[in-house]
Amino acid sequence: MSEKRVAPASGPTTPPRDVARLLTCVVARELRDGEVVAFGLNAELLLAAALLAQRLHAPNLRIRHGLRIERGHELSPSAWTEERASRSHEVIEYLEAHDAILDVANRSSPMRFCDVFFVGGMQIDREGSANLIGIRGKDGRMTIRGPGSIGTTSIGTLARHVILFSDEHTTRRLVETVDYVSVPGWRRRAAAGLEGGPSLCVTPLAVLDFADGRMRLRSVHAHATEEDVRRRTGFPLPPGPVRTTPPPTPAEVEALSVVDPKGRLDRVDLCRDGGPR
Amino acid sequence: MTARGERVASLAESAALVRDDMIVGLSGFSYQNPPMAIVREIARRGVKNLTLVSGPTSGLETDLLIGAGCVRRVVTAGVVFERVAAVAPAFRRAAERGDLDVWECDECIWHLALKAAAWGMPHVLWRGGVGTSLPELNSDLKEVMEEGRRYLKVPPVQPDVVFLHAAEADPFGNVRVAREAYLGRTFSESALALACRGPVVATVERIVTNAEVAVSPERTIVRGALVVETPWGAHPGGVSGRYVPDLAHYREYAAAGEASLRGDPVPYRRYLESHVYGTEGHDAYRRSIGAERLDALRTSRA
Repeated sequence: MSEKRVAPASGPTTPPRDVARLLTCVVARELRDGEVVAFGLNAELLLAAALLAQRLHAPNLRIRHGLRIERGHELSPSAWTEERASRSHEVIEYLEAHDAILDVANRSSPMRFCDVFFVGGMQIDREGSANLIGIRGKDGRMTIRGPGSIGTTSIGTLARHVILFSDEHTTRRLVETVDYVSVPGWRRRAAAGLEGGPSLCVTPLAVLDFADGRMRLRSVHAHATEEDVRRRTGFPLPPGPVRTTPPPTPAEVEALSVVDPKGRLDRVDLCRDGGPR
Repeated sequence: MTARGERVASLAESAALVRDDMIVGLSGFSYQNPPMAIVREIARRGVKNLTLVSGPTSGLETDLLIGAGCVRRVVTAGVVFERVAAVAPAFRRAAERGDLDVWECDECIWHLALKAAAWGMPHVLWRGGVGTSLPELNSDLKEVMEEGRRYLKVPPVQPDVVFLHAAEADPFGNVRVAREAYLGRTFSESALALACRGPVVATVERIVTNAEVAVSPERTIVRGALVVETPWGAHPGGVSGRYVPDLAHYREYAAAGEASLRGDPVPYRRYLESHVYGTEGHDAYRRSIGAERLDALRTSRA
């Protein structure tokens, strides 16, 4: 789906591997000890981030990777794998039926589905709504069919903490208003009687957070420029001093080499330069 | 004592259970355990206007039947080939042309609709999905107020017949997962079977004895199924604990489907000709793929 190019035209060059590793650290820093984090199957970067958090500051983080609670220490091949020698069945401490996905509404049970949930989409908008359904044409009809909402809608509505993750940073991805809503953002949640909203949107170029239910820039990654990030965002971001995303610390770098000894992060789907303009 | 009745069937008689306009449940999860051998058999029979209840997140089993012109409506949370195609091509083409109705849901709502059927409920109230586009896209999935809170009113979905693929079963219809299964305890096999109003057919990699099943009852996920021994019955999908998906085959299929999207129907027609219509049955399909290629997909055992 994504074209992988290395050097952004407007910023200093960075080895592509470092972008995936930086994002892994950014996500890991958001995970707290004792939480349950959940994400889908095609998500090695998020799995790496959870393993990293477990190693560094969240030893009691529980990792729900699809239908499995992982107990591994190293990024392993996933459902889509062609690797026949996968030993992933040896690093699971709990395996459940698919309909356990319904157990998301009770946030208090020790068996709760999750605390933190990661969502992506074809479109993400200013208030943090996500769309995996499709894109409307000029006549208002759906002209581009999306994959479908997969596991996002209910968990994204009911989970305590939603984080948006995008593998590109483009005006087609980050739009003023999504064409269809798979997961509701701040304003839609409020209108439906739900509190809160997504806390963060992590992209290959920046970290965005929300103030008054609207996205703003929290930090720009060292390999990108603030100007480029603003140009690649489909809605205005409030002005203000923007800091640089803190680079991986020596402790994070060391832990990452344990979590990902085979360099799987080099091959994750990620537009290192933000994606097509 | 009268002998216990076996429930072993053939692929042909199982596929013959499907008639035009039926609601057909298909188990599987993305690349895992799609009942492909029976799907190809159904496609060869040329049935029309099916409603597929598949997934919850479905893959090639759904896309192939859409591409073969058998489907009018799908109840699924998504049709994707992760890492190969963000949206499965026949699904995308049919939906964009208006040839396919999509019941827009997510995995939770898909499961709830089946639970409503299994429980005999007129609807189930669910808080997940309020504030989204789902009520606007599905005329039968409305937002309602109950004790001051908004809910989605999820209607029952009841398949007429269900097909699933699993590692093993005994001749009496006890279907079980591989000991080395690692992707989930079950996918949607029992959810579909419990909601089904008619027969449940399990194609399995091999039939084992009832005594073997009785040693590890915790591995049994569905009972009362009709059983068809169908080695490599999920190919090009994988079977958790048995073999990995044949992603090269998926890429070939996706390329053919994407050519159709660009207006060239020839490669997709050629795919159906060589892998569906041009092969007489599952044995011929296996021969056309080749033993060497299949063996290379086997999961290595500890």
